Formats: sequence, C-alpha cells, structure tokens
Amino acid sequence: MSRSSIAAPIPAQAGIGLRLPHHAMVLAERPAAAWLEVHPENYMADQHSLAELELIRADYPLSLHAVGLSLGSAQGVDGAHIARLRHLVELLEPGLVSDHLSWSVASGHYLPDLLPLPYTEEALRVVARNVSQVQEALGRQILVENPSTYLCYAASTIPEAEFLAALAQRSGCGVLFDVNNVYVSATNQRLDPAAVLEDWCRALDARTVGEIHLAGHALVQTEAGDELRIDDHGDHVCSEVWALYERSLAQLGPKPTLLEWDTRLPAFGVLQAECAQARSRLDIAQERRYARAV
Amino acid sequence: MHAPSEHALESLQSGMAAALLAADPAGQALPEALFTGAHAGAVGLRVHRNTVLGALSNALRLSFTAVDRLVGEDFFDRMAIDYARARPPRAPQLDEYGVGFAAHINGFPGTESLPYLAELAQFEWQLAEAARARAAREAGPVLQLDDGVRLRFAAPLWLHAARYPVARLRDAILAEDTVTLAAIAAPGPADPAPTNPAPAGTAGFHYAIWRTSEGVNVRSLSARSAGFLAAVYAGATAIEALAASGDADSAQVLGEEILPAGFVQVELPPGA
Repeated sequence: MSRSSIAAPIPAQAGIGLRLPHHAMVLAERPAAAWLEVHPENYMADQHSLAELELIRADYPLSLHAVGLSLGSAQGVDGAHIARLRHLVELLEPGLVSDHLSWSVASGHYLPDLLPLPYTEEALRVVARNVSQVQEALGRQILVENPSTYLCYAASTIPEAEFLAALAQRSGCGVLFDVNNVYVSATNQRLDPAAVLEDWCRALDARTVGEIHLAGHALVQTEAGDELRIDDHGDHVCSEVWALYERSLAQLGPKPTLLEWDTRLPAFGVLQAECAQARSRLDIAQERRYARAV
Repeated sequence: MHAPSEHALESLQSGMAAALLAADPAGQALPEALFTGAHAGAVGLRVHRNTVLGALSNALRLSFTAVDRLVGEDFFDRMAIDYARARPPRAPQLDEYGVGFAAHINGFPGTESLPYLAELAQFEWQLAEAARARAAREAGPVLQLDDGVRLRFAAPLWLHAARYPVARLRDAILAEDTVTLAAIAAPGPADPAPTNPAPAGTAGFHYAIWRTSEGVNVRSLSARSAGFLAAVYAGATAIEALAASGDADSAQVLGEEILPAGFVQVELPPGA
C-alpha cells in the first residue's frame, strides 16, 4: 500500500462518511472525495470489510470516528475496546480519530446510542480521565464531538459548550464540532439555534476545533403533539444548518468538514453533491482568511 | 474497566441503562425530577430506548435476512427485543452480537409452526461469519496425492450440518418460492426427499461454506464428503481423509463430489 500521498493530516476540505454499502463502488470507480471517514467499530470483527478499507485507504485520507469508546462512562473505558481501536489506528494511520461526549456502557452492557451526560464537575473529571486514558493508549490526540440531546439533566451546572471547552483544556483533546447537533439540541430545548451557536463559538478556542460535522435529521411529533428533531443522519442538510455552518466557518475558520449520512443511505453521488455545497462554503471561508492575511 | 467509579454518575448510568432495556419501562422509570427542559424526561428516554432497541434489531436483521423475511418485520423485532433484554451486548462491535440469537429463538412462543427456524438462523449466522472473514486461500490445507498432484483447499471454510435442508430453505424464502417452502413445512412420504428433515437428533444435510474475495459460497455435501473434508481441515493425509469419509469406494468421494467443488484447486506437478 502506498502511503506517500495520504500521510498528511485531513485537509480543510469537505469529506464523506463512507459506509459499507459503498465499498464496492468506491473500490471500482475511485470517485472524487477529499477524504473519507468511517466508524472503526464496523471493521473490528469484519475482516473482509477491513481488507477492502485497507485498499480504499491507499487512495484517500481517512478519519476514524468511533462510536463505542463510551468516553462518559463512570466505570471507565473498556481497555479491550481501546486495544481494538489502537490496532486499527496502527493499521490505517488515520489523519483524525474521534468519538463523542456521551456514554454507552453501564453495568457491563453496551447500549448502541450516544447517551447524554449531566454537565457537572464530576462528569468533567470522568470524561477528562477517560479521554486522557485513550489518548495515552493511542499515542495521539483525539477529537470529542458534541452530541444531539433529547433530554437535559436538572443536575447540570455547566453549559455544554463550556463543558467541552474545559474538557479540551484539561485533557488536551480537540473538538469535533457538529453543527447539526447544535441545531437539533437547541430546537429540542426551544432555544434559538443562532444564539446557541454564538455561545459555542465564544466558548471554544478555534484552534482546538479539528473537524466539523454536518448531517440531516428527522422531524417527528411526540405523543403530546410537540415537535422533536431526531439526529438520524437520514436526509439532506437543512437550510438552517447550512446557515449555522456558514457562521461557524466565519468564526472558527475553515475546518475539515464531514457529510454524514447513515440511514436511508443514498447513492454515493448524492453525498458528493452534498459535499459540493460544503466545499463552496469552505472556499469562501478560505478566501476570507487569505483576504484577512493580506 | 479498571478505573475507580464516580458514584453519582455511575448510579445514574446504571439506572438509565436498566430503564432503557426494561421490558416494563413504567416499572423502571427514572424520576422526572432528574430532568429539566422543554420536554419531559420520559420523551427523551423514549427516543433513546427506540434508538437502542432499533439499532440492536437492525444489527440482527443484517445477519438473519431470511429469518426476518420468513417471520415478518414486526415479529422479528419482538424476537430481537426479547433477545436484547435477555442478552444485551457487552461490546460495541455489533457484528458479533447475534452469536446466541439462534439458540434464543429456538422454541420462541409463536414459532411452533416453524420447527426449522432456529436451524435456519444458525445457518444464516454461519453465512454471516463467513461474510466477515478475510479470504486467504493460501492458508488452506493441501493434500498431496500419489502422482504428484496437489489439492489445495479454500480458506477459510466451515462445515455445517442441519436436520433440515436449510440452504434450500433460505434460498426459497429469499426467492419467495412458496412451493418449496410448503414442501419443507409439510414433509412428503418420499424418504429421503430433498425437502424432508432428517430424524430428530440427526444431521441429514451437510454444507461447505467458504469465503473468496468475490463472496460467500455454499455447496451441499454428502455425509461422506463432509467427513472427508473435516479430516482434511483437521490436518489428515489423503489416505486418512478418505478413510474418514467412511465410504467403501473411497476414490468415489474425490471423483464425484470433492474435485468438482469450487473449494478445491487441482495443482499438477511440474511438466505434467
């Protein structure tokens, strides 16, 4: 496998979330994509798909976006899972490694969801401890992503943005800033997404933000007749999220940006078209940065 | 998990995990006072419960395609959720989560008319395992024959035995072949008929399942070929493997069933 062209970090361009149904097409046609991101858990037991990913990796910069470290678990992070991730990191040499500000393991059981944390000093200690353990084991920095939330804890004492900023400061991790999640969480809490985004951009040190995520979501009605947005990654990025993305780029600068699409997965060409929309906004942000520099 | 636990957070997480997996969510409900915000905590918990159970059902559905098709989506979800509550996963690589599903649905209430369901699930699990394997023909066993001919066998390869004709059953389900399905459901008088089950407690149908870079392959075997292959993959010599096939005319095993199968390559000696 030639690594010479892909050893560089993930570029500040628009990448695509690669899912298993697209492997064969990507291998056969090598479609244009600035970089790709995968969930490493999909390759830990599936050696056939891992063999395919190794071939794909030869032609594309790759990011590993984990969903199973359970960085928020009070019981700590599973050493066996860290070892599995480390094996993939050593094999694939990804430009970025990330997971979520959430938990999914309790009482020895893994729950396949990104469950929310109460934002307390205790939780901050736990997550910082766990992130440090993972970074030490991997020998590199990881990024931690803000999740979508559907409930808030009365015990929370720290605003989410400040919590993640403090985590980055304490543990040395970077931030994966998911703009769609900001929108979903804000609207579910009946908050103004633009104001919430401003809070995020004020709280975060732009230098710690290593990646941005964009995705579509679903709008459902609760039994009480209220609207609720579900982060299902099953649709186009909505116009409101594109607007928040533009404001994010203006304040944080151009960042590697990933288009995620998981449910009702469309043809790869649809993802490329969505990517082009992000690329045009990234180009504007780049021009703005050059103009400032000049 | 070796880190010292943080008490309040650990208590919250174990309580929420129990609430999300509970068969009776009302009985395991968390106090509303734990939550604040625009929606009741119960609303958010319902979203997470649906995500957790839905993800686990879908993980199983990917491996048990024909079982899902046979029983229907709603009934499959019932079995999957029952399995999730009885055996929640212990690791995030959900590819391995279905290992106990076939045993769990054996005798599942409502499946009395499908006596082959658990065997079908076990067969599909073997196919799923094969699909996740990396093809490595060079790692397969090699038999050296007397005349310098070498037989190179595929790797990885699994031998599978069942009382019911599970490969035929699976093909019929996926092709919506109702005639074959009806024949398997109601065995006819001809014995052995290709659709009749073997006597209880015996394996009447044998299969080789192997992985190549192109995909997963299945071939039906006679009991003698299955015995031969089991011996080959256990490291037996050609003579030992033929003896293990239990056939009076042992060469017939090679000539009729093994050599034409896709899982073996014949390598001739140099100059032949």
